[in-house]
Amino acid sequence: MSGTHRIKVTVNGKLYEAEVESRRLLVDFLRHELMLYGTHAGCEQGACGACTVQFDGRAIKSCLMLAIQADGHEITTVEGLAKDGVLHDVQEAFRNAHGLQCGFCTPGFLMVAAALGEEKKVLKGDALRKELAGNLCRCTGYANIVTAVETYLEKVGGAAQ
Amino acid sequence: MNDKTMKTGKDKLIGVNMLRKEDERLLQGAGRFVDDCDDPRMVHLAIGRCPYPHARIKSIDVEAARAMPGVFAILTGADIRARTEPISVLRPLPGLLRHSYYAMAQDVARFEGEPVVAVAARDRYVAEDALEQIIIDYEPLPHVVDAERAAAADAPILHPELGTNVVVDNTLDAGDPTPLLEAADVVVEDRFQLGRVLGLPIETRGVVARYDRAAGMLDVVTSNQSPHLTRSQLAQSLRMPESQIRLSAGTIGGSFGNKLGLYPEEIIASLFAIDTGRPVKWIEDRMEHFRATVHGRESTHRIKIGASKDGTLIALDDDYFIDIGAYNGPWGPSVLASVTMPGPYNFSGFRARRRVVVTNKVPMGAYRGYGPPESNFVREVLIDRIARKLGMDPAELRKKNMVRKEQMPFTSKSGAIYDSGDYSRCLDLALDKLGYKEQRQRQAEARKQGRLVGIGMSCYVEHAGYSAASISRHTGRRFGTFESVTIRLDMSGQATVFTGIPNFGQSLETAFTQLAASGLGLSPSQVVVKPGDTLGTPQSVGAFGSRGTLAGAGAISKAAGEIRAKILRLAAHELRVSLESLDINDGIITSHEDKSIQLPVSEIAEMAILGMDLPQGDEPGLEATAYWTQPGPSFGFGAVVAMVEVDPKSGEFKLERFIVAHDCGTMLNPMLVEGQVAGGICQGLGATLMENIIYDPDSGQLVNGSMVDYMVMTAADMPKFELAHLESPSPVTPFGIKGVGESGVIGAAGAVANAVSDALSPYGIEINRIPILPETIWRALRAAEKKAA
Amino acid sequence: MKPGAFEYVKASSVEEVLAALGRFDGDARILAGGQSLMPLMNMRMLRPAGIIDINGIPDLDTIRLEDGRVHVGALTRYRMLETSPLIQEHLPLVAHAVRRVADRQVRNRGTLGGSLCHSDPAAQMPLCAQTLGAEMVIAGPKGRRKVAAIDFFQGAYTTAVDPLEMLVEIVYPAMPGARVTLAQQTRRHGDFPTISVAAAAIVKDGVWTNWRIGMGGLSDRPLPAASLCAFLEGKPLTEALIAEASQILPDNIDPIDDVRATAEYRISLAPVYISRALTALLKGEGR
Repeated sequence: MSGTHRIKVTVNGKLYEAEVESRRLLVDFLRHELMLYGTHAGCEQGACGACTVQFDGRAIKSCLMLAIQADGHEITTVEGLAKDGVLHDVQEAFRNAHGLQCGFCTPGFLMVAAALGEEKKVLKGDALRKELAGNLCRCTGYANIVTAVETYLEKVGGAAQ
Repeated sequence: MNDKTMKTGKDKLIGVNMLRKEDERLLQGAGRFVDDCDDPRMVHLAIGRCPYPHARIKSIDVEAARAMPGVFAILTGADIRARTEPISVLRPLPGLLRHSYYAMAQDVARFEGEPVVAVAARDRYVAEDALEQIIIDYEPLPHVVDAERAAAADAPILHPELGTNVVVDNTLDAGDPTPLLEAADVVVEDRFQLGRVLGLPIETRGVVARYDRAAGMLDVVTSNQSPHLTRSQLAQSLRMPESQIRLSAGTIGGSFGNKLGLYPEEIIASLFAIDTGRPVKWIEDRMEHFRATVHGRESTHRIKIGASKDGTLIALDDDYFIDIGAYNGPWGPSVLASVTMPGPYNFSGFRARRRVVVTNKVPMGAYRGYGPPESNFVREVLIDRIARKLGMDPAELRKKNMVRKEQMPFTSKSGAIYDSGDYSRCLDLALDKLGYKEQRQRQAEARKQGRLVGIGMSCYVEHAGYSAASISRHTGRRFGTFESVTIRLDMSGQATVFTGIPNFGQSLETAFTQLAASGLGLSPSQVVVKPGDTLGTPQSVGAFGSRGTLAGAGAISKAAGEIRAKILRLAAHELRVSLESLDINDGIITSHEDKSIQLPVSEIAEMAILGMDLPQGDEPGLEATAYWTQPGPSFGFGAVVAMVEVDPKSGEFKLERFIVAHDCGTMLNPMLVEGQVAGGICQGLGATLMENIIYDPDSGQLVNGSMVDYMVMTAADMPKFELAHLESPSPVTPFGIKGVGESGVIGAAGAVANAVSDALSPYGIEINRIPILPETIWRALRAAEKKAA
Repeated sequence: MKPGAFEYVKASSVEEVLAALGRFDGDARILAGGQSLMPLMNMRMLRPAGIIDINGIPDLDTIRLEDGRVHVGALTRYRMLETSPLIQEHLPLVAHAVRRVADRQVRNRGTLGGSLCHSDPAAQMPLCAQTLGAEMVIAGPKGRRKVAAIDFFQGAYTTAVDPLEMLVEIVYPAMPGARVTLAQQTRRHGDFPTISVAAAAIVKDGVWTNWRIGMGGLSDRPLPAASLCAFLEGKPLTEALIAEASQILPDNIDPIDDVRATAEYRISLAPVYISRALTALLKGEGR
């Protein structure tokens, strides 16, 4: 029905039940219904990557999914990275490398990078830049973002290699 | 500075790579951007925009939309005309022909994207549904989307009351350069085109407006770089007293000049807030952004430079058109393209004629650099051509003509006053980093193998810090050049810095913390910065033109110095030691007379705030408000060297090296400086390599107005770059710092264009437009081959 | 912008999809990965009455090898193509080309079937299907039918799939051990290419056979380069041969002028990119 649907979705480890309209975008649901404002909408057409979240562990653009599609799935947003007030390694790496300026694109980059880290991928340079090409940043010129992610991946995946 | 307070405590935090205060919250997605402000009673706006480049609005039927469930209110151009004044111009160029720019089109819409109607509804989805139900009868009118065509006698006129589309025609000169050019041994000239581009912050614009009827107070949160100036404009448009409007910026997700001054949507959202009594939110979507937020740069130049046989630059004569789109907005076209035209060189003759033309396109406004990138490109490309004509090394020719260190302060023929610097040393720094001699050899060898390798350079000045002097002479701005802060200590000894300047990624909180902590003798953790709010802050100008940190530094140092002096006075009184013996470090007061003294500032703060046991003549409280005006202009500068290889078959080229050596005076925080330069490089290269807004001349439509179609670089596209720093402290600024926000963007186009032209010199191809697209090069190569055959 | 209202149907079988398509009488869209559909919905350039979500259909994303053919379910995500050992081994061209599709997030979510049905004339997956001569299995009210790639791609954003039908499977001839490459010009990383050349061949004892070459950017659909394949078939690949081969363009070329490039430029790029593709194969720079 074009009306509303009842969904159950786990976000950052917490189960939510909600009533959503068919057309409600996942990004709008996360932001304005769950008040998880860290996921940002930059273009609503899948071009900028600011709305990237992890959907069942995979980085996806939440402006290109309906909230109703999250029914029965697990989502991690940027709010789910830090634990007990301690920054996640990837966040720490961005801070130390000055990998953010205005911070608007940052959550999207963090979610892509964290997914790479979880896969223990140790990527560098051009190969890494290609993995980050789904996210646009207009402030940093990317160099510091790449450095931050390299540092992070080395830290979490180094032992795996 | 001769003010001694400027120097106190400076050694500790000035020049230090302090990690950013902003990051903790931004990294956790807790930035509090405009769209993060929610309220269950909120209504959401969608704005209906003209789909034509130029059209008469014959009728608007909103009845069906008004009847839809969830629709609260609708506004049209007629409401706007009855209830508001047009948007004022903050920075009119001399001689500007004034024309009305209302928040919504009045009878005639003049660009694709101009607001025509607005709906307030339960949510954005419903508001957009309602827009679909509004029937607007448009009569398309003849359009013009090219500035030079718009300046012609037979062009459709956008603003009939003006009788012309040329709204500014003025000349900045040092006399007529024609005789000098006629006498020159070589003269090079060309017509140059700079593409239309956008700053494209990843956060679009947005407004949340609330109206408190009882208090008569309007509270506007808007993604904006100049809250005080914008509030003043909003008050004027709404016919309200300024004091009844609070305007704050929240956290801004990038701005680059695009979020300066008042836009129609702040007016529209405010009216809805007043009408509905509800909080009102408008968030610009990305399709709107391309049609509602200012564009930048687009201009065409016809420029000549003359030189003598020995390579001495003699005179420069430029005649250029700026395409400002349909209206002269609050910020309008760039001023500095003319002022910085001579660049770091000493010319004898100079003239720049500027014509600003209205066309049926999105209004133009400020964008990072805002003049210097344009003039740098056209000048630097011609300088390389002179070098080629004379058979001189382009680096040697530049160095020969640069203003020398010992000539500082130097007044250029355009009236710009350069305060300090060693321009030729900066170029050498970049060339050394490249290994200029070796790379020239490599280039010669490559050329023997038929490979097209080129080296190009460009040198620039960055107007990094406004002063009163430069303003009165060249412009008619309606804003001051000062900056201000209030610093207040609480009883815990924590200092809060209140400033009207907002934080949009330039690391304002970090920079201001370093400055305030240094000035006060506190640790950085004892300083909190509250940016971007008109409430309770002294009048501010805002952050643009690489001025925010610099101008703020002056005000902070002054206010902090006053407070520090009072703390010491009170401490001397309390501790019964001499004032001269006291010092404050990391919030602890010590005395070299009595080493046992370790008094936390909080104790003095408590004493001051409670007003107990004060020395005679001191009032309670521990706070200060200070204004600071820069006594003279300051200019940063830099040199860019690029190396490319062009593929003759496809016209594709690869940027193999890209080096920026720059000087922004004393670096307050080198890590942040590098970040600013890097970001500037990315935007400068973007406009050089791929960014370009295209309007179809036949339909007048914006062809690539979406983030999918407008090409900005990803991490995989961004070439590697190398940086080098030089520090020539400015004599006219606190600590000798100069602004740096625009530095990276200025020299990119010239250096890359020169490298490409150098690579293509066997074919005699000269680049004269940006972006430099592979297809353009391919066309030039085929034309050259045809000519040769 | 936000999508207009629609009725959402979550299908759990192909039959349910077909029934729902019938019920909306063609005014419905199938939602797979949504990476092309959702932007159009968000911009309100598409306003279907119904959205039929196929993400819950089991076994629509399987990859299997059968009688020398690789069967790939329409719901198979790009990521699965990237990581599948079976695709690596038997469809190395697809494994190679899929890495050039858009970006990481899009590849995590977007599907093969979605790409083929969207049929952007410049996209990599339609190009590979055309190059390899894949067959598409289409389910409809009257049962299933197979359509060869050459008949499947009918123009820009136009395929043989009727509004009441659904693409369920793509069947490729396996090419184990092939040398493959994709040469393409893009304005920026992840953008749809201005021009592209996909090529695959089997090399044995210095002789190159089983040539499969296709080109994008020269028409409103990807084109097979049959004459070029015939010219190269069974010969040793040399620089001299490449120079000659690069002049052999597909039949029926009819490129368009758009914001990416003019038709004239695309045509001029064709020999350059054929040459780059073949040179990459020769040097073993592809896979």
